Amino acid sequence: MSTEATFYDGASARAWPVSLHFADALEIVSGEAVLARWPYEAMRRREAPPGVLRLGVTSGPDLARLDVTDLELQQQLALQCHDLDRDREGRGGTWKIVGWSVAAATSLVLTAIFLVPLAAERLAGLVPMPLERRLGAAVDNQVRSIFGATTCSTPAGDAALAKLTGELVRMSPQTVRADVAVLRSAIPNAIALPGQRVYLFDGLLRRAENPDEIAGVLAHELGHVAHRDGLKRLLQTGGTSFLLGLLFGDVTGGAAIIIAARTVIDGSYSRDAERRADAFAADTLLALGRSPQPMGFLLRRIEPKGGVVPPFLSSHPVTEERLQALGARPVETAGPPLLTDEEWGALKGICRQD
Amino acid sequence: MTTATVSAARLAAHSFVPPRVTHSFVPPSGVPVSFTGRAGEFFKMLVKGGLLQIPTFGFYRFWLITQVRQHLWASTRVGDEAFEYTGTAKEILIGFLIALAILVPIYIGYFVLGILAEEMQAFASLPLVLVLYGLAQYAAYRARSYRATRTTFRGLRFWMDGSGWAYAGKAALWDLATALTLGLAYPWRKAALERYLMQHTLFGSLRGNFVGTGGAFFKRAAWIWFLNVGIVALVAVTLGNSGREPGARIFVILLLLAIPFTLPMFLAIQARWQAEGVRFGSVGVVSTLKKGAFIGTFIKLVLSNIALLVGFMAFIAALSFPVVGDLQAFEQTGLTSQLSAFFVVAVLAYLGVIIGLGILQRYFMGRGLWAILAESLIVTNLSALDEVVAAGNPVSGLGEGLADAFDLGGV
Repeated sequence: MSTEATFYDGASARAWPVSLHFADALEIVSGEAVLARWPYEAMRRREAPPGVLRLGVTSGPDLARLDVTDLELQQQLALQCHDLDRDREGRGGTWKIVGWSVAAATSLVLTAIFLVPLAAERLAGLVPMPLERRLGAAVDNQVRSIFGATTCSTPAGDAALAKLTGELVRMSPQTVRADVAVLRSAIPNAIALPGQRVYLFDGLLRRAENPDEIAGVLAHELGHVAHRDGLKRLLQTGGTSFLLGLLFGDVTGGAAIIIAARTVIDGSYSRDAERRADAFAADTLLALGRSPQPMGFLLRRIEPKGGVVPPFLSSHPVTEERLQALGARPVETAGPPLLTDEEWGALKGICRQD
Repeated sequence: MTTATVSAARLAAHSFVPPRVTHSFVPPSGVPVSFTGRAGEFFKMLVKGGLLQIPTFGFYRFWLITQVRQHLWASTRVGDEAFEYTGTAKEILIGFLIALAILVPIYIGYFVLGILAEEMQAFASLPLVLVLYGLAQYAAYRARSYRATRTTFRGLRFWMDGSGWAYAGKAALWDLATALTLGLAYPWRKAALERYLMQHTLFGSLRGNFVGTGGAFFKRAAWIWFLNVGIVALVAVTLGNSGREPGARIFVILLLLAIPFTLPMFLAIQARWQAEGVRFGSVGVVSTLKKGAFIGTFIKLVLSNIALLVGFMAFIAALSFPVVGDLQAFEQTGLTSQLSAFFVVAVLAYLGVIIGLGILQRYFMGRGLWAILAESLIVTNLSALDEVVAAGNPVSGLGEGLADAFDLGGV
């Protein structure tokens, strides 16, 4: 039996027109010469255009090829060679790929949920304060450019703020140091950044009705500073977004998934941190002989109507929950007022131009 | 086990034919290239691969890209002889993992450096992007080298020598020049880089070359640059003078509609110039590709993309109809079970659209354009290949892995 095929020996680019002899092994013959002898069980199918059977051999040169176009000959070869499709990728291996992918993804997600917060918690303690201050300065720059805001300052307002901060720091349950400033922004908010920096937003000052409300919020932010929550959050957000980026980054549009996942993960982390900061604030105010409850009233006042964000997505525990926690402490307003009416007026007006 | 007799060719064949740099007219007599893959089969492969990306979180891309290459390579024939892609998905996956091991410390270092730079001025870390840019160019070179060594023809592999870093340096300088000249230097950039790539590409023992010149490319394609600049200028002038008039607006829209048509023409001009510049020893390439050859494929791509997006929006609209009430009451009630189901289906549909866009892109831009180009090619002096002997070793998939990691958009 002999029909035409084309043989490439894998050593030169020459195309040999050959005939095939089916002996104990396949003999590839050109004229009188046997160019190669391929054992049937070592022959493998290689990628080829439609209508062509292209064969390679595992026991010979890697790239030696036999191209067979004759249909009858193809069928005969298929009958003789039982392992034609043995090492082809993806044959029945699809489930294996899916399984391993799911395992890898699960591992990354579990790492993001459990290990990253743990690592952030531990690492935060190892970061020296000068480095944290540098990180904080970077975040500070970004915060300012995001909010497009400047800080407010009047001599009387600064003095009032310094006095209030000083009182809170003096009686805080844990030594804490912080730079507090008021940011010219209408949003009712306050934030603690890494590097011992606290911003009160003017919007919050405007909505506040007495010094105790602001004192509570400020003490809460000092709690974040004392616990180095800003740094922890930075480390954690960096870690989770990096891990999830590895996982989803390649799917175009995956950013949405990343952000959603991060919001949930960071949210659950923050709820804990918020509770501890609330406790810190309550301890501080009680030590000053003031009630921690007014802070809760302020929170309720600035809460958006209807509670748009479901509780599990929110980075702040629901106000109700926090109010209960704050109200659970004994309420005695025994100490002297934290600010005089005059000082309170100066602080509230720190961002007014007149 | 290869029994003797191949020896004559093997011994005779260390002839290195010096590259021909003449520009004399090459008569288009030679061996035609053809593309014979079945479109339906390819499309099915893309759909299956696309869907498998969902449960594998995208990891299936390594298998998909390998299958796509196997198809494209095997479907491309010079005369009767088809190319073959011998790469495997596992190689690229391993390359990707090694790339991660290299990139993770770099990213972290980059992050820390970025923080330190940010301290001085917000978002001042931008220049550090240059480091990653250089690395990306290096990755592109190494990825090409990987693909070359997995490309075989007539039982021999292609391979590359040269240095990825030298290439990255060249690319950086030329990109700078291109940016400074508002793109006018692009033809010379393309020629210089292509020259470097092809002169370091070998088919077995036969070294490649690139004889296309930036000047020739510029002459053929410069009108597109001037046309686009002209259109933009005209639009600016029209809007400045009579932007409110409806006639002027229609005129502007018509002008802007002309721009997308120039892209396929530019790509066709570039593809032909690039193909005709390729040499391996005395083996050359001629192309009959027309300027307008890619336009039809582009229109199909655009229309199918629009159809897909419109279909998606219609689907979401129809889907949200029963839950309109729930959506409005969302602020009060939070998630209802119906609403959750809606969100789940909407997210799946969104993923479907993303995958669909990828499929269309690969189908038209990957396979479609390549098939048109391949069919236009004629290889001259092919018999010179008979003297070539095997050389070069396969390189690791690191380059591919690096290139893939850069697509992750971690920067």
